[in-house]
Amino acid sequence: MASRLGVTTSSSSSSSTMITNESRSMSFSSHFSGQCVNMGARLQRRRARCHVVLVTSMAVEQRPVIVGLAADSGCGKSTFMRRLTSVFGGAASPPKGGNPDSNTLISDTTTVICLDDYHSLDRTGRKEKNVTALDPRANNFDLMYEQVKAIRDGKAIEKPIYNHVTGLLDPPETILPPKIFVIEGLHPMYDPRVRELLDFSIYLDISDEVKFAWKIQRDMAERGHSLESIKASIAARKPDFDAYIDPQKQYADIVIQVLPTQLIPDDNEGKVLRVRMIMKEGVPNFIPVHLFDEGSTISWVPCGRKLTCSYPGIKFFYGPDTYYDNEVTILEMDGQFDKLEELIYVESHLSNVSSKFYGEVTQQMLKHADFPGSNNGTGFFQTIVGLKIREVYESIIAKGGASLEAVKA
Amino acid sequence: RLRIVAMANPSSDIKEVLSQRIKEAEEVCVADSSSRECAVAWDEVEELSAEIAHKRVKQEDKKDPLEEFCKDAPEADECRVYED
Repeated sequence: MASRLGVTTSSSSSSSTMITNESRSMSFSSHFSGQCVNMGARLQRRRARCHVVLVTSMAVEQRPVIVGLAADSGCGKSTFMRRLTSVFGGAASPPKGGNPDSNTLISDTTTVICLDDYHSLDRTGRKEKNVTALDPRANNFDLMYEQVKAIRDGKAIEKPIYNHVTGLLDPPETILPPKIFVIEGLHPMYDPRVRELLDFSIYLDISDEVKFAWKIQRDMAERGHSLESIKASIAARKPDFDAYIDPQKQYADIVIQVLPTQLIPDDNEGKVLRVRMIMKEGVPNFIPVHLFDEGSTISWVPCGRKLTCSYPGIKFFYGPDTYYDNEVTILEMDGQFDKLEELIYVESHLSNVSSKFYGEVTQQMLKHADFPGSNNGTGFFQTIVGLKIREVYESIIAKGGASLEAVKA
Repeated sequence: RLRIVAMANPSSDIKEVLSQRIKEAEEVCVADSSSRECAVAWDEVEELSAEIAHKRVKQEDKKDPLEEFCKDAPEADECRVYED
């Protein structure tokens, strides 16, 4: 110690060499990362190899988790899908190099298929037989069951493509079993055999008033459409909708109901919404969200010093209820946020949102502040449902792993 | 000239088809607005409207010109992103 202190010059020189060494190694590392573009192929290959090993080891243990999402067309299925795939990370894109009109979306973990692909009658066929797309006779549930079953068993399928532009059935595309397989469309819970295959199911229930308001927003700019045509279209499809689509909500694990607000008297603009998340009790791997105290009935107005609300404000409701003879928990939000960041205040009072860290729901919402519904309950509850699906997926994996361990032992 | 357009390309533009179908649906429903034919006609209108809306969303996703350019030329100076 003393000798080191005595020889100041050598110690300083050694420290200076250390610095140069360090700076050299630093410059090397920055140089190295600078070279990443050129070396990209090699690096990526190395990374990809590790990744593949992981995936195959997963694939051996884990069957795909099947999720069903039911909603009428133009009711926000695609926004919901974008929120869901974002929770799992990575962007969803159509299959590369395939049919440009394919309805499928693929991301690292998730594959979403549109059930319109199982139409048994194309557009002219439906016209001849006089059935709408909502009618079960226009859909091939045998093929739907067979192919969803095959995916669940980990087999690739050759799925037809319903081309929404031409209204024809195009040649099939190959779908490989993903980690999470989402079937979205009009009838995911209609056929009992398909329903049996679902690990989790969601129904988006949009009231007629809101549906009308949303379709005006969506369609009014198109030539030919008018208020009358939009109204007529909803009315004409309603008998089939009520007969074949609406009854599916009794089977859903979560129903997201979108209603006109009660905060503004006689509101029919459909801009401020009352959104109810109806969560079934006793579903495997799924625990409903609760507000403050599980099982109580609570009405909560968070506006005040900690949350800025302009007119008409925000109102929450939480409580147990029954829905189609099922025990359910309802969480309701009426109104809209002014500042999305302050959502954290609401999130901190909810329990069992299945987030991995404090503020994850808010973070996910901020990530997609430009999506429709980001300032009201639709986006908020859709994000929570996304986290719930992740939890279902993870607990099924955990159980799959455990059962394999048991087999090995 | 009008005749050639009608024959060669009867239904290329989906928006054109939509406004045609809306007219047809309105005609079909004049007699009986609760008939099967009426429901089928409006169902087709709904399908086309939904498809046009989907296409519009896809187009809006592509609206950043720099992002579009960088998809094709990731090595360009204005596109390079280093992870570390």
